[in-house]
Amino acid sequence: MMKDSLTLLSRIPAHPDSRCWFLAWNPTGSLLASCGGDCSIRIWGKEGDTWVCKSVLGEGHQRTIRKVAWSPCGNYLASASFDATTCIWKKNHEDFECAATLEGHENEVKSVSWAPSGSLLATCSRDKTVWVWEVDEEDEYECMSVLNSHTQDVKHVVWHPNQELLASASYDDTVKLYREEEDDWVCFTTLEGHESTVWSLAFDHSGERLASCSDDKTVRIWRQYKPGNEQGVVCNGTDPTWKCICTLSGFHTRTIYDVAWCQLTGALATACGDDAIRIFEEELHSDPHQPTFTLTVHMARAHSQDVNCVAWNPKEPGLLASCSDDGEMAFWKYQRPEVC
Amino acid sequence: MATTVSPFSGVLQLTDLDDYIGPSQDCIKPIKVEKKLGKAAAKIHIEDDGTYIQVDKDGGSQKLEKAKITLNDCLACSGCITSAESVLITQQSHEELLRVLNTNKTSGSASQKLVVVSVSPQSRASLAAKFSLTPLDTAKKLVSFFKSLGVHYVFDTTFSRNFSLLESQREFVQRFRRQKEDKKALPMLAAACPGWICYAEKTHGSFIIPHVSTAKSPQQVMGSLVKRHFAKQQHLTPDQIYHVTVMPCYDKKLEASRPDFFIQEHQTREVDCVITTGEVVKLLGQEKVTLSEVNPAPLDSMFSGVSEEEQLLGHSGGGSGGYLEHIYKYAARDLFGIQVEEVRYKALKNKDLQEVTLEKDGKTLLHFALAYGFRNIQNLVQKLKRGKLPYHYIEVMACPSGCLNGGGQIKAEGEPSKDLLQRVERLYESVQPENPELNGAVQALYKEWLGGPASEQTRDILHTGYHAVEKSSATLNIKW
Amino acid sequence: MLSLGLLWRALSSGGHEAREKEDDQQAHHRPEAPSRTAAAAMEQERALEVYDIIRTIRDPEKPNTLEELDVVTESCVEVHEIGEDEYLVTIRFTPTVPHCSLATLIGLCLRIKLQRCLPFKHKLEIYISEGAHSTEEDINKQINDKERVAAAMENPHLREIVEQCVLDPD
Repeated sequence: MMKDSLTLLSRIPAHPDSRCWFLAWNPTGSLLASCGGDCSIRIWGKEGDTWVCKSVLGEGHQRTIRKVAWSPCGNYLASASFDATTCIWKKNHEDFECAATLEGHENEVKSVSWAPSGSLLATCSRDKTVWVWEVDEEDEYECMSVLNSHTQDVKHVVWHPNQELLASASYDDTVKLYREEEDDWVCFTTLEGHESTVWSLAFDHSGERLASCSDDKTVRIWRQYKPGNEQGVVCNGTDPTWKCICTLSGFHTRTIYDVAWCQLTGALATACGDDAIRIFEEELHSDPHQPTFTLTVHMARAHSQDVNCVAWNPKEPGLLASCSDDGEMAFWKYQRPEVC
Repeated sequence: MATTVSPFSGVLQLTDLDDYIGPSQDCIKPIKVEKKLGKAAAKIHIEDDGTYIQVDKDGGSQKLEKAKITLNDCLACSGCITSAESVLITQQSHEELLRVLNTNKTSGSASQKLVVVSVSPQSRASLAAKFSLTPLDTAKKLVSFFKSLGVHYVFDTTFSRNFSLLESQREFVQRFRRQKEDKKALPMLAAACPGWICYAEKTHGSFIIPHVSTAKSPQQVMGSLVKRHFAKQQHLTPDQIYHVTVMPCYDKKLEASRPDFFIQEHQTREVDCVITTGEVVKLLGQEKVTLSEVNPAPLDSMFSGVSEEEQLLGHSGGGSGGYLEHIYKYAARDLFGIQVEEVRYKALKNKDLQEVTLEKDGKTLLHFALAYGFRNIQNLVQKLKRGKLPYHYIEVMACPSGCLNGGGQIKAEGEPSKDLLQRVERLYESVQPENPELNGAVQALYKEWLGGPASEQTRDILHTGYHAVEKSSATLNIKW
Repeated sequence: MLSLGLLWRALSSGGHEAREKEDDQQAHHRPEAPSRTAAAAMEQERALEVYDIIRTIRDPEKPNTLEELDVVTESCVEVHEIGEDEYLVTIRFTPTVPHCSLATLIGLCLRIKLQRCLPFKHKLEIYISEGAHSTEEDINKQINDKERVAAAMENPHLREIVEQCVLDPD
């Protein structure tokens, strides 16, 4: 019964003879960008029932492209590369041209993310820093802040869905949250609990909760408590406290590389180094401050190697894309199983 | 996981980081060994005390020497700086100063050293804020405290900064005049901040270096004054003087250690030891002395910033030395015949990025900027690369808010650090500003010691050079 | 099928270990043998295959192979079946000195060579044998981070060193 709730729609050799590292849906869900170890980005679109490659963005990076991110307007794509740069690609009808190259990181850029306003961009790197960039009308990018809070390689950055709040995940086993203060950015809290590298992060649709996944084989769910909250969670000054309210352990057998929280249905998907995709659902009447999540799908051998990324389509509920070290990309249809 | 907070400025912490080896672990320079025919591999054992013993196949054994990494190895390497840090901590610390002072007390007069301490005005302001004193009282009490420890002279780097400012002014005007022929003459970038220099050399090398002012920093001018001029006056060789500076920043230790500031023929550095303001507080604590309770002593009038009325002197233009302001006023007058009374700063994107413009008849004559902190340095470097940097001169400093907020300054206790910084800024600015061009002692030294401002001697002694650090390639210790 | 590893063992030592292996092999083929024994035999054979690939890797600094330096030995490889025709390979190597700054480089060489040469589906974990290195945990973490390994192999200088080390002797 469990297997039936996730159906394979199609499987595509997206980056043959290479790794496929990451996937990103554009805001309307009509295009999917993939990137990989072949230093290229591919843009996929649906024609009839099949997904076809609409364009290949081959020039721009000298090394692996680790992650890509669409701007909220959908007209720009940012790519983070091991060549220490971040490229900004401008969409011109079907084509993309490199509009800017952001330099400054000392070594591999691991992740890139656009703020909901579209005027800020965050990047992070093995150089232990998180950078916030500001974009002006002429597509000029300026560094607004260099954040030194992590003590190791920073793996992932992601913005809150509707506030100017930034989260980063690191090889130092922590998650850090940042906000703007006067003319600079500051780290206002550190989420500790994971016992190894935190690989990825995902906010839920409201931004009240954050999921983190780690090399320690667990997923943690953190919830925001504002000062004066009814639950009596202590806050420092005017900053909210982010408290771990749930740990999903015992489900994964190897490193969890990615976590994705569906903004439409609330389903939580994970990409794991044991080649499996898993999907969790919050139990219907569980306590919001101590929620229970149930494993609804365990798709073993979803790919032939490590699964690196899972991405929910932002418009079509249940449409999930995944990619793997084997260079392939897969599309899945997820149906929440009936409660027994 | 090693999670040590480095005391160096943020800029330096960003330069090619060492990801997993903590500063406690010594840096090892691996060497590739060619295979010798017929020689069986030796085994290495480690004794309980940590020494390494190599045992050959035939049973012979030998103790292996640990390769010592010197600071120069670190500076020449584009790798980590964590090892530099541990080397510095042993070579340049308040404990090392105490060791020298103790040796002085116990050794015969022949091997004794004349100990000179040069205090920066930024450190003095930080100490004044900590002990609720005026800058003048702080200066006098510091003289008294250092002399009680056995220090012979206490100088003030405000004095040597006169030279740094004058040389920067002249250099700028020369660069401005040759900007048509020399595309890299402008913008000129300030050189007094060693964190910025180290970053520029290690990451942007030959591209940035031609833009960097060659004028020595106040610390290093003082080094030349003490080890070359003052030593001669005292009938001493440079190595018979032990010269200590008190600085607001750890990166100054790196600056003092640069090979450019090593006097080869006497095997001595212009500045032997740099201690930070915070280390002075440690020293006071170790000696169980509260600075406010120390009886003041008269200031050493030589190489000090004191007026005839016994008032402390300083320079206008902010806590990082006032380079922009001095160069701006001088250039306005020298190049355009315009007398600038007040310099008006325009804040840009953030408080650490400000600009100043001199206009005449709707035409921009001079366009200067202050860029402090890593983010602003980043943007300026990137714009310079793209040829989009509109300035003639930029006062670049690695620390946000500049030198008064240096990493070696005293940390706030029980008050917000912003408030402390404001107090330190007010104390720093409370001294009377002087015009370096009108300082009689400085003019006399130019004449008697250096043979005039345009002499070869001036160029040799008051200017320095920079060296691009090649990214290490063939070595086996690439961090990944 | 006698793997190359077994062949090499048989030729070089002719010792009892190799014979033991043959016995196990036979056990594997006997239909009535308990499946656990068969699986164990298969795992052991896989371990030898792994060892045969890594033993000739050269030390980045010294002219010797990892086997000659006792950085790797036959017993440092463990293989467990974790799925149908899928194995977990665990290697515990011993750097020559506890401060060896090249330990991460050795780890990189092991990973790269196995990634290229190991013919069966596997997951790979590489560790420093316990107590052998002063920053053991940090190094273990680094050499098992596939993103760091992938990035390292795109650094031309590192790649050159690794290629030299993993080049087959003949």
